[in-house]
Amino acid sequence: MLSKFEYYKPDSLEKALSYLEENPGTRILAGGTDLMILLRRNVEICDHLLDIKGIPETRIKSYSPEEGLFIGASITVNEICEDDEIRKMFPALSEAADNLASYQIRNRATLVGNICNASPGADLAAPLLVYDAKVHVVSLKGKRVVDIKEFFTGVKQTVLEENEIVVGVTLPAVEAGDTSVYLRKSRIKGHDLCNVGLALRLTSEKKLLMAIAAVAKTPLRLTELEKSVEGKEITPELAEWISEEIKNYMSPRPNSVRSSAEYRYHIAGVLVKRGLKKLIEKEAN
Amino acid sequence: MMDKKEFRHVGKPLDRVDAVEKVTGKPIYVHDMELPGMLYAKVLHSPYARARIKSIDTSAAEALPGVKAVLTGKDTDHKIGLYLVDKRIIASDITRYQGEVVAAVAAVDEETAERAISLIEVEYEELPAVLTIDDALEGKILVHEDINELDGGGVFFPQKDSNIASWNKTIVGDVEKAFEEADLVVESEMYLPAAAHTPLETHVAIAQVDPHTGKIKIWTSAQSPFAVRQLMAKSFGMSESDIQVIVPSIGGGFGGKAGVHLEPLVTLLSKACNGRPVKLQATRREEFNQLPSRAAMRSRIKTGVMKDGKIIAFKAYYDWDSGAYADYGANVGRTAIYSGAGPYEIPNVEIHSRTLYTNKVFSTAYRGFGHLETHWAIERQMDIIAQKLGMDPYELRMKNVLAPGKRTVSGEIVTESTGSPADCLEAVAKEINWTGYQSGEERKAQLKTGKVRGKGIALLQKAPSMPTNTATSVIMQMDGDGKVKVMIGAIDMGQGANTVVAQIAAETLDIPMEDVEVVWETDSDKHPYDWQTVASKFTLMGGNAVIRAANDMINQMKEVAAQVFRCNVDKLRHKDGHIYHVHHPHKRLPYSKLARGYIYEDGTAIGGVIIGRGSYIAEGLTFLDPETGQGLPALSWTFGAHGVELEVDVETGDIHILKFASAFDVGKVINRKLIDGQIKGGVVQGIGSAISEGMKFDEKGRLRNPSFTDYKIPTAMDIPDEMVAIFIENPELNGPYGARGVAEHPMISVPSAIANALYDALGINFYQLPLSPENVALAIAEHMKDEKIN
Amino acid sequence: MCNHNKERSCFEYVDSQLPRVPLELVVNGEKVYELIDPTMTLLDFLRHNLKLFGAKEGCGEGECGACTVIMNNRTVNSCLVLAVEAQGAEILTVEGLSKDGELSILQQEFIKYDALQCGFCTPGMLMSARALLDRNPNPTIEEVKEAISGNFCRCTGYESIINAVLSAAKREREELR
Repeated sequence: MLSKFEYYKPDSLEKALSYLEENPGTRILAGGTDLMILLRRNVEICDHLLDIKGIPETRIKSYSPEEGLFIGASITVNEICEDDEIRKMFPALSEAADNLASYQIRNRATLVGNICNASPGADLAAPLLVYDAKVHVVSLKGKRVVDIKEFFTGVKQTVLEENEIVVGVTLPAVEAGDTSVYLRKSRIKGHDLCNVGLALRLTSEKKLLMAIAAVAKTPLRLTELEKSVEGKEITPELAEWISEEIKNYMSPRPNSVRSSAEYRYHIAGVLVKRGLKKLIEKEAN
Repeated sequence: MMDKKEFRHVGKPLDRVDAVEKVTGKPIYVHDMELPGMLYAKVLHSPYARARIKSIDTSAAEALPGVKAVLTGKDTDHKIGLYLVDKRIIASDITRYQGEVVAAVAAVDEETAERAISLIEVEYEELPAVLTIDDALEGKILVHEDINELDGGGVFFPQKDSNIASWNKTIVGDVEKAFEEADLVVESEMYLPAAAHTPLETHVAIAQVDPHTGKIKIWTSAQSPFAVRQLMAKSFGMSESDIQVIVPSIGGGFGGKAGVHLEPLVTLLSKACNGRPVKLQATRREEFNQLPSRAAMRSRIKTGVMKDGKIIAFKAYYDWDSGAYADYGANVGRTAIYSGAGPYEIPNVEIHSRTLYTNKVFSTAYRGFGHLETHWAIERQMDIIAQKLGMDPYELRMKNVLAPGKRTVSGEIVTESTGSPADCLEAVAKEINWTGYQSGEERKAQLKTGKVRGKGIALLQKAPSMPTNTATSVIMQMDGDGKVKVMIGAIDMGQGANTVVAQIAAETLDIPMEDVEVVWETDSDKHPYDWQTVASKFTLMGGNAVIRAANDMINQMKEVAAQVFRCNVDKLRHKDGHIYHVHHPHKRLPYSKLARGYIYEDGTAIGGVIIGRGSYIAEGLTFLDPETGQGLPALSWTFGAHGVELEVDVETGDIHILKFASAFDVGKVINRKLIDGQIKGGVVQGIGSAISEGMKFDEKGRLRNPSFTDYKIPTAMDIPDEMVAIFIENPELNGPYGARGVAEHPMISVPSAIANALYDALGINFYQLPLSPENVALAIAEHMKDEKIN
Repeated sequence: MCNHNKERSCFEYVDSQLPRVPLELVVNGEKVYELIDPTMTLLDFLRHNLKLFGAKEGCGEGECGACTVIMNNRTVNSCLVLAVEAQGAEILTVEGLSKDGELSILQQEFIKYDALQCGFCTPGMLMSARALLDRNPNPTIEEVKEAISGNFCRCTGYESIINAVLSAAKREREELR
């Protein structure tokens, strides 16, 4: 890599934020599985690297019925996979985590890193979207909480400003009877990016929530589609209707090297039908 | 040697000789090598498919501290090429593919070299490029404007004012007349994209030039040290003996490391650095973008067949999208003319094989040497013919398959010793319980469930494609304790050559395996010549040479023992590391007493150091007639077959392979463990070509997937549920213990078998690879629409 | 940094060779202390500084797994880890699998099942297998496949590797626990 950076690993959030302020253009390092590739390919060149893994707030993973599930920015994907409580309460998140890249990558990649990288197909975005996750952003100016639905603004773009750090993400607590599924389609059975990633959630009030990734410039929460099926019973006919309707919300890139737009439309419909079937089966149990 | 008797070592599933080193991380690959004073090189690539270099400014790079040399096209006029000498070491004036080297730097470390490269400024004039097979054939733009000056040596035939690097053909009988007589004529067009070898160790080479004598020393991750030496000598106008090539362990080759690649460039850099060693390691990106691939290929096949299934005419155009330089591609193309009709007897044949220049990364040897590509078409065509005749594709193949007394398309008569494709096909058909295609009703019923199963079969053949005078040699030395060191010129890149050599040597000498060591790190200064480690021929050729060398040792020892026992040499035998008198077995001497001569009790010494020498040259091969393609090109044929049972998810297009059975007539299994590894590894590599691999180029000829992120090779989760390897043993008379090679064969016809199974499952014929979930799902959706299946 | 670009023959320091950060960690049970360039990857540190050449760079992008080592009991692609991130860590590489010239059970089974050919992927593969058996002493075939799916092998077709790992698991359960 061409970068010649200074590496700084502060032990407090204040020190981190001051460093960012003093050194514009600092890149933030958590798992490094995205950043290191960019640095090695010289797509990004930086003079300052801030390792957030020493900041105590980022290492918290905790659940309470009042606050919900908090996942700190340093929590790795495998730590999520290995958490049985998360799997019980937020199954779509665990299932998405299970399928992110390879085991080695999951030992380093972080959930927060995944959404901050903001790839249109970010593996963990769809579950976070159906769970109405909140992103906790901190800067020297103070704290703010960003709804995940507002977080992604474009291809690899988020609402984050310079000098802001995401300390973690909260998933609001779920009631008993709330369940979800995650489905994805990739090119091979081994580790791969997804052509389509889909999260479906049925709340305890039987509201159907849907989110999809890799089919538009950003991961999408399909609030419009959810409204049009609100209150309706999920029958095979409705599933069929949704699987066609969903295509109206997609705008996949026409010349992607990974998959044709045609296939993404096709597979999105397939995954929706299969996902709804699974969701109903889960709810019945 | 051909009896089914029990051998001491041959036929046993012994551990490979270098296993302990490999599981402890000990082997040194050139990837790991550091030499005193070594510099690191990086290269600058052309970003265009075809462009003219208007100017290069290297001043900033040269001024960077730590940079020792910067080279561009103006620093070298050397050209290189295995057959057609058409490639400059560094491009000058015109660049012919995205990824071609336009400048190179040597510096004290990689970071500095990388920085220097980023400081080189090149001004290009982008030119229109030749990007498709049809573009190439049209010839409006010439990839090589000087094609008329290329010399094909009477073996390759570059066509004037064209992009055809070589046009080879086979013509037997009269196809046009036969088409008229045929009951049915079937025409198909198939295509498969370029593929990458993806050895885990990328190409890497270190060169050190003696500034006073000009002698060159090279360490390289290569399959053929002697070929590197020969080609460099030719290119640099030097004597071969002034070039030393050393190959330590290599991390996979698959044909991609068969020729010469980075060696000439690092040599120039070392020269420019006053003889300091210079190392150039390709990054994985460069491995895709700059280093060569397997060619994309379009087949147009026309087959004339009678109602009873007898094929009477075969006409094919194989057009190879071979990239910017001919490299090995020309020979891959040539090989198709004698192997490109499959293992069948066909009385009227016309095969045209055209190696085409295009402005894309060039192609080289790749496991199978064109056979996976041709058999994609041939074995698909067989199934399509069977469908049209309403015939079982197994019966159709059996009706036409080569057998003793029948003739190949190059005019060779098959004998018992050639091997039996029929035995192979029968074995796999049995293994997968082949009972013919499903009926249309059965398919429709399955389609409704969303998951359909199907079975497919395919045949294959390959003989080594090599010069008529291909040779190999072996030297054996004996230590004072009777232990033997064997030196071969071939490279063990994991296929197990060193283990097989040790087994055969130990067998012939009748000593324990522990007493034989095959000297690692092939060095052209020390090891004896081997043409190249390619073509699945080393077990046969090298094995024979080993036997000769061992027998040579035995004879030398017998000569001395005869004096000691005062008898005639013909009374002596060898067994268990001893030479003994056949009638008086108590008269015996261990090898160790003869290894360095024999010393009598009174001190008299006779005999001398025992050194065994064995040499083997391909015998009886002839050139192919340039018009008819007739001749004897094949040292030994290995036939095989695959049978596959799979399940397709109709909506997602996912293929799940339940069972993959492969049978090969190998003559004699020398080592069951090693050969099994070749089969399983080749089948999985074939599955990669079948289902997920393929290089993708954009409309400007730039490679879109130069990384593992988007060039998907099989992982452990992508293998069949069950793989079965079956070995038929019809002995090869020429082979050591009756053995034939099989290293490349497992890959061949894997995609065809899978596509044939897809037809059985879905009733859909596929003509293009890969059979990715996307391609399969969309084809099914189309098919369901057409058939109005709901 | 000395800048002698006029006299090319002397050995020069350049930016990247200027060590700047102290690094202290344990590798294969041995304490290590060095001053390193912060841009250096853990992989390069193991290979160039410690001369542990088992881990390889197959792609440099965390795809092929040839660089897999175990860091604080977890497998990582060391080509994507900065050496400085391993501050205070415990690293296990292939060189640490065998002790006193004795091959571990896992290595023995790799040999027995011929779970290797060219050997380039083998160190990384062994580390993924080691980590799997450490966390799951009785894996199913599917679990083995998943655990090693981040390690490419172009030679073997994986079957022999899977069989070796399953066999090693069984032996470890019987002989070690």
